[in-house]
Amino acid sequence: MVELIIILISITAVTFIGCNVLYLIAGKSLKLKLGEIVAVSYGLGLGFLSLEMLLFYFAGWAFTVEGILSPWLLLLAVNAVRYFRGRSRLMEPALVAAPSRKPGLIDVFLAGGIVFEVIYAVFRALIKPIESYDAIAIYAIRSKIFFLAKAIPQDYFAAIARLFPHADYPLNIQLSETFLYMSMGSLNDALVKVIFPFFFAAILCMLYFALRRFASRTYALVFTFILATIPHFNNYATNAYLEVPLAFYIFVSGLFLLRWLEDGSSGAIILSAVAASLAGWTKNEGLMYCVIYTGLVFIFVISKGKKTSKKDILHAFLYSGIIVLVSLPWTLLKAGWHIANDEIALANLNPANLVRQLHKLGTITYEFQKQLFGPKKWNIFWPAFIVVMLLNYKKTLEMPVRYAAAAIFLALSGYVVFYMISYLDVVFFTSKTWARFMLDFLPLAVYLLAVVLKEDVKC
Amino acid sequence: MKYKVLKIAFAVWIGLWLFFVARELVIKDNLRDYKALITRSLEDKHAYMTGEDLYRFLKFCKANLPGRATYRLTGLEKGSVNKQRAVYYLYPLLESGDPDFILVYGSCSAKEDGYMMFAGSSGFGCIMKKMKVR
Repeated sequence: MVELIIILISITAVTFIGCNVLYLIAGKSLKLKLGEIVAVSYGLGLGFLSLEMLLFYFAGWAFTVEGILSPWLLLLAVNAVRYFRGRSRLMEPALVAAPSRKPGLIDVFLAGGIVFEVIYAVFRALIKPIESYDAIAIYAIRSKIFFLAKAIPQDYFAAIARLFPHADYPLNIQLSETFLYMSMGSLNDALVKVIFPFFFAAILCMLYFALRRFASRTYALVFTFILATIPHFNNYATNAYLEVPLAFYIFVSGLFLLRWLEDGSSGAIILSAVAASLAGWTKNEGLMYCVIYTGLVFIFVISKGKKTSKKDILHAFLYSGIIVLVSLPWTLLKAGWHIANDEIALANLNPANLVRQLHKLGTITYEFQKQLFGPKKWNIFWPAFIVVMLLNYKKTLEMPVRYAAAAIFLALSGYVVFYMISYLDVVFFTSKTWARFMLDFLPLAVYLLAVVLKEDVKC
Repeated sequence: MKYKVLKIAFAVWIGLWLFFVARELVIKDNLRDYKALITRSLEDKHAYMTGEDLYRFLKFCKANLPGRATYRLTGLEKGSVNKQRAVYYLYPLLESGDPDFILVYGSCSAKEDGYMMFAGSSGFGCIMKKMKVR
């Protein structure tokens, strides 16, 4: 019980740090609801704290809870000065499409379903220690190494990392787990899993408030309910795999990218870039989304033609600059220690090789359609999504949702390319990973579905 | 018309959702796991998830080997989830191709060249130690 209280206090502290990072990034340029602030701050807090722990490695410092938290006091002081000088608030009355009315029976049912899924996810996560395959073989073992050493050992990259699978995987969640172990003072690998359902709740929160910007409460609840009740999605909020944290960063980045496309606000583009780079710091797949989102930003700026302003150009370079900056420490480390992915080599990404691997397309497509139509994992989401997109293709091509649709299409294409250039057996690789990869852009797909269906639903 | 179709689709969704929740709890027997786990300590949860015998054997190995020893574990399928769990529980002991110790889970009847019996574990397996070469 004591450990549970400590871990909740630690997560509150991390979220508070994230809130300060958000305030630094966004100031008053973003209008956010309290729920959005808490959700974004949680992800930012964990991401930046783990990045800081990586910097401790460069400095040769050991981890202590006080040592990790204390540098953030400086940011706190800067923000306090900014706040009292400028009175710029992070929380403003956000745009809401319809004024709140008394919740009806359907609202209560939907909210009840969402709350049930969140509480049940927390329960399922905490009842078991970390035990599923990748979670233990790749991630939890590293958290244990860092916790026992009270640092990233100086011989970690040269020797220890290579004794366990996938030395090249980024360390965001592993270091976040380490921090929570250190807060508790014990290796409680059941309680530490609370990270994952909290990311799940944060995604639901972001989706709900994003939809509330243009739709009624009932409408927003329907789609939040849909996302919360997708079996594969809520399962992955409990098993200590990194798909749900990754989906969070990809979704937050995508949402604020769409907001920037609408209003051009600096806060939105910076937040989108930061979230994208934290996606890259969570899993290697996140780097693909960094490339996709950066590409979309540049396409948007270029497509404006003569209407392109200096601010647009600045934003585009700022976007790529932030991603490079945040990704730099981990990228340099990997390059310095010659740590490479053992499943995919980007050197294989060339037209000649792609043509040679074309025979894999049949298997990739077959496995993909098997995933799409699996109700045990997705309920009827993907068939419904495809039908709606095809019937409403004109709406899908409207601004700014066409960029969300393009992001999903490019991500799918990216995964296909990775399967083609991978060293692994394509049947094994696709059957093990397709469904997982689809989780990465699932929240964005639900959001897109909600936007496209808006005019057809009267609630 | 479109609205009606969407309403039907949503009703189907809710029906499937309720079915999958029930399936997850009852048909997949998770309720039994939850019942067994809810009152256990963290240590006992590890034992339950890994299998009591294997977990007891791993604890035995950890208690009997020096802190930074290297090992090879036999008796578990290579690449199996229990092998991964064993590697996780045994850390900071490290796997090696030329280990100080061989951890034999299961029958200890087979001999390993260059290794001698170091410790036995009440029927779950034994530990063999590398013999010193003069």
